[in-house]
Amino acid sequence: MSHAYTREMHPLAFVVSHWTNLCAMVFLTLSGLYIHYPIFPGFMGAARGTHNFWMFVLLINLVVRLVMGFTLKTSKLAGGREKELDIKNFLPQAENRHQLWPTIKYYLFLKKEHPLGGKYNSLQKFAYVLTVPLILLAAYTGFALWGPTSQWSFFLAGTTMVANWFNGGVGGAALMPMRIVHYWTMWAILSFTFIHVYLANIYGFDADRIMFAWKETGTDHA
Amino acid sequence: MAYEDRAFAEQLAARGVTRRDFVKFCGSVAAMLGLSESMVPTIASAVESAAGSKLYPAVWVNGGACTGCTESMAQATYPDVATVVLDILSMNYMETVMMAMGADAEKALYDTVNNNEGKAIMIYEGSVMKGWDGNALRVAGEPSLKILDDLAPKVAAIIAVGSCAVDGGWVKAGPNTADATGVSMYLAEKGIKTPVINLPTCPVNPEWIVAMVVDVLLLGELESGAILGKLDAQGRPKLIFGQTIHDNCPRRGHFENGEFVYQFGSPEEAKGYCLYAMGCKGPQTQTNCPIVRWNNQTSWCVESGSPCIGCGNFNWVDNGAPFLGRMRKVAIGSGSHNGGFAPGVAGAAVGGVVAAALGVHAIGMAATGRLGNMPDTEDVKEHDRKKGGDK
Amino acid sequence: MARSVIDPVTRIEGHLRVECEVENGVITDAWVSGGLFRGMEAVMQGRQPSDAFYIAQRICGVCPISHGHASTMAAEDALGITIPNGARIVRNIIEAAQFLHSHILWFYTLAALDYVNPAKALEANIADTYALAEAAGTSTANFAVVQNKVKTLVEGGDLSIFTGAWLDHPGFAADMPAELHLIAVAHYLEALEIQAEASRVIAIMGGKFPHFMTSIPGGTSWMPTEEKLDDVLFRLMRVRDWVMNTMIPDTLAIAPFYSDALSYGGGTGNFLAWGVFNRESLEMKDRYLPNGAVFVPTSGLTVQDADPGKIAEYVEHSWLSEGESGLNPADGVTVPPKEFPGYDTGDKYSWAKAPRYDGKSTEVGPLARMIVAYLRGVEPVKALIDSTLEKLGAAGKPEVLVSLLGRVAARNLETAVVADWSLEWANELIAAVKGGGVEFFKPLENDNGKGRGMWEAPRGALGHWMNVQGGLIANYQVVTPSTWDISPRDKDGVRGPMEEALVGAPVLDPERPIEAGRIARSFDP
Repeated sequence: MSHAYTREMHPLAFVVSHWTNLCAMVFLTLSGLYIHYPIFPGFMGAARGTHNFWMFVLLINLVVRLVMGFTLKTSKLAGGREKELDIKNFLPQAENRHQLWPTIKYYLFLKKEHPLGGKYNSLQKFAYVLTVPLILLAAYTGFALWGPTSQWSFFLAGTTMVANWFNGGVGGAALMPMRIVHYWTMWAILSFTFIHVYLANIYGFDADRIMFAWKETGTDHA
Repeated sequence: MAYEDRAFAEQLAARGVTRRDFVKFCGSVAAMLGLSESMVPTIASAVESAAGSKLYPAVWVNGGACTGCTESMAQATYPDVATVVLDILSMNYMETVMMAMGADAEKALYDTVNNNEGKAIMIYEGSVMKGWDGNALRVAGEPSLKILDDLAPKVAAIIAVGSCAVDGGWVKAGPNTADATGVSMYLAEKGIKTPVINLPTCPVNPEWIVAMVVDVLLLGELESGAILGKLDAQGRPKLIFGQTIHDNCPRRGHFENGEFVYQFGSPEEAKGYCLYAMGCKGPQTQTNCPIVRWNNQTSWCVESGSPCIGCGNFNWVDNGAPFLGRMRKVAIGSGSHNGGFAPGVAGAAVGGVVAAALGVHAIGMAATGRLGNMPDTEDVKEHDRKKGGDK
Repeated sequence: MARSVIDPVTRIEGHLRVECEVENGVITDAWVSGGLFRGMEAVMQGRQPSDAFYIAQRICGVCPISHGHASTMAAEDALGITIPNGARIVRNIIEAAQFLHSHILWFYTLAALDYVNPAKALEANIADTYALAEAAGTSTANFAVVQNKVKTLVEGGDLSIFTGAWLDHPGFAADMPAELHLIAVAHYLEALEIQAEASRVIAIMGGKFPHFMTSIPGGTSWMPTEEKLDDVLFRLMRVRDWVMNTMIPDTLAIAPFYSDALSYGGGTGNFLAWGVFNRESLEMKDRYLPNGAVFVPTSGLTVQDADPGKIAEYVEHSWLSEGESGLNPADGVTVPPKEFPGYDTGDKYSWAKAPRYDGKSTEVGPLARMIVAYLRGVEPVKALIDSTLEKLGAAGKPEVLVSLLGRVAARNLETAVVADWSLEWANELIAAVKGGGVEFFKPLENDNGKGRGMWEAPRGALGHWMNVQGGLIANYQVVTPSTWDISPRDKDGVRGPMEEALVGAPVLDPERPIEAGRIARSFDP
């Protein structure tokens, strides 16, 4: 029943990780757009440096977050303090299956009642899991474009495959289709972010308080 | 030997080439072939002895060409085209410069290849024209495909010069009315196994032909097979086509500093800033143009103030156009240039649609009174409930 | 009666077949077939107007500058742009460098071997060669080394580019001294370096040659620096000196031995030029070499303004025959056949269309430009032609230019005129840069319009037509100089200019029609 946000739901390490993700996304998007087209002069070196730096930060943060998922415990329930391994709250579980379709219907205004969910509803779980391959795709396509790694056969294979889809030629010419895929990946991540920000704030701003400031809300001793 | 040396020096001198120029040329060939400085005397003596001995049989065949590659070859220096065709190769067929004409010219072509089976070199310029059963290009009263069908299996190797010969070039660009293709693609269709060395760009840079001539003929790398190891998966010499123009561009410093040309004729253009914002294809084009340059190292595209258009790329017209834009249009599959969509527009459209949908959704949420009313959550986890852990 | 065929016609740009009917040693009928169709116009559809510049010039590797300029001018005309003065001068210089390159290459590398026989050079006496060179006022070279080189080739049996040549053909002027053959062979080798020098001027201002990069719609992306300006000037001076001291004296020395070529090979006598090398007005009539149309058979030596509206292209004898015939290129179509119709001189026999000006089979090229400029009183063209006619023993008879030899001479005289002008323009550019405030580019603004670029390639009048809708090319048409000259018959069966020029020419040996080769090459097709 609880609408509370407890520190057991989102431990400090996750708050730091969330901040890191936010910064990385902002810097990667802005520097990436600048590299795509330098709308004003003067910052190409800076933009490329920024892009490279935050790419590593984002990747390392992803790894750290996944490791934490398997090692840290978080609260089992929304507003709860009793904990279990985080990954069980994060990954979709068999028990979530019956919630998925009703949740979708709720958000399509086909159903009045929101099914009871855990800390995350089942739709949310799918969306969060999707960010992992999206970030990996962004990283893979990025490495395929980056001078020092673009000739590694692991990345070259992807470049060639993408170029074939787009009738795009081989060798250097194949980099452009890959660049386009990299660019689209950014839009996919941005689209996720839009939805995420929207849903996180549509019922109020308590989620922001816990995720950004680690402030509990709605609990007995708030 | 001494006499031969003098004769060779005289031949060079007659064309205004000094001994020093000649050694310099051998040095640049060595660099291009990835050979050490110590190979310079070997190259020099190989060229010299070639000049005094039996010439290497060669034919230069024009497919669906604009003759620009022949023209480009005529711009070569150290050695100039006359040295190549008179002192190194016996260029028994080269439509644009040969003295013979008509049936006697065709006879020279067939005789050269048939009398030197497995030994002659064929240089092929222009697209392979398959349209109308090869009638898109007629030579000597026949579809010109006949020349490749008859002679390609009998030559030692084909050097495909220029983007047209490599993959069809602009002629193959959509809609490819005349069904053009490249030499290696055509040979693959016909099951002809003759090795093809691909030298793209439009036109070909003559320095690359000269480098291949030295490599293949004078250093004997075709017979030894060493040449094939120097080619990439597309049959291009790795040392010439291994790095991007961007990597070697003299304007690269301006790129890193963020100093760009945003308008032709601007003060930035006058200062020689980076042409990236004008759609330069240097970052995705692999040739050594910035190092070798063009017309006897006089200049090259970027130095003259023009963005690279990527003419050394496969499928370069469809891949590079719009040449003054950062990204080409995307068409999945066969790719007609009339169809397709701009990737930037597509990306922004997806983002915009998502944002708009969320806006509409928020209105719906407000209308149904859900805004600000957080749904209830479970007070016990499902599996706990099942296990009877209900509090 | 016999059919005499040259296929391929070598030493030209592209693929050409010449078929002649020979009767009693004279050509009585002729068919010229363009052998290649690539579909350039279709490639243009749907692309941006600025892309056309890069693609269109690749029609021709020998005259890409002219195609690039015509395409760019069509885009500028369609989108209503007037280029700044700096760009005009830069384009004149680039175009001039290509004219110099092309004419030098044509005369020595392509055409000379029809008149000069390297085998005869072997008989030359070296001392006499120097004496003859001095007497003819042409430059000397290391004649002994050149002779030795030819000897090595002949004796070694590796004839290379001379393999299969008609070295014993009786058509070479019997009275031309061996020493003159040797001088020409020496200059043949030298010309390779000089044409390359002219190309380097294009490389400086346009990045590379063939296929340059800078004359985009709106002006030029090349910006001069002091270093580049004097590089351009001094290279042009070197080329100009060579043209004056070698090419022109060579022409005048060889021409008298082929004076019979003044009596045949004239063709239709109809001439057309759009004009080339803009003055500040950018008007076609005002160009250094102005536009004009001359119809010698019907209106004598009078010139009228040339009007692109009077072009119609016929396809009755072309393999591109499925589109409508008789269209003006502004509304033109290029429709390839579904099935190849086959080569038949009685029906369809060429990929070329048959353009007609005011209904007439019309020749384009240096001869047309020189006649138009002469009749319009353009200096120094008029003075130069008058003095040349005098030297050829035809003073006051400009009509003799309508011949094979006239066509050759016109091209070489034009080289001299353009060489002088190129220095004038280089100095004009230097003065403009010194004066300050000179501009080189104006950005595009409009998205719609119909335009045309009427210009001249070294080989003749050239037009590009572009229809731009919504920022993209909706239709593109090109009429190249060769299309005019190698045109097949039109709907009324009237022969094209090259076909007409062949008729009446003598042929000594129908198996080896060297004379037909000369006439075909005199058009630089």
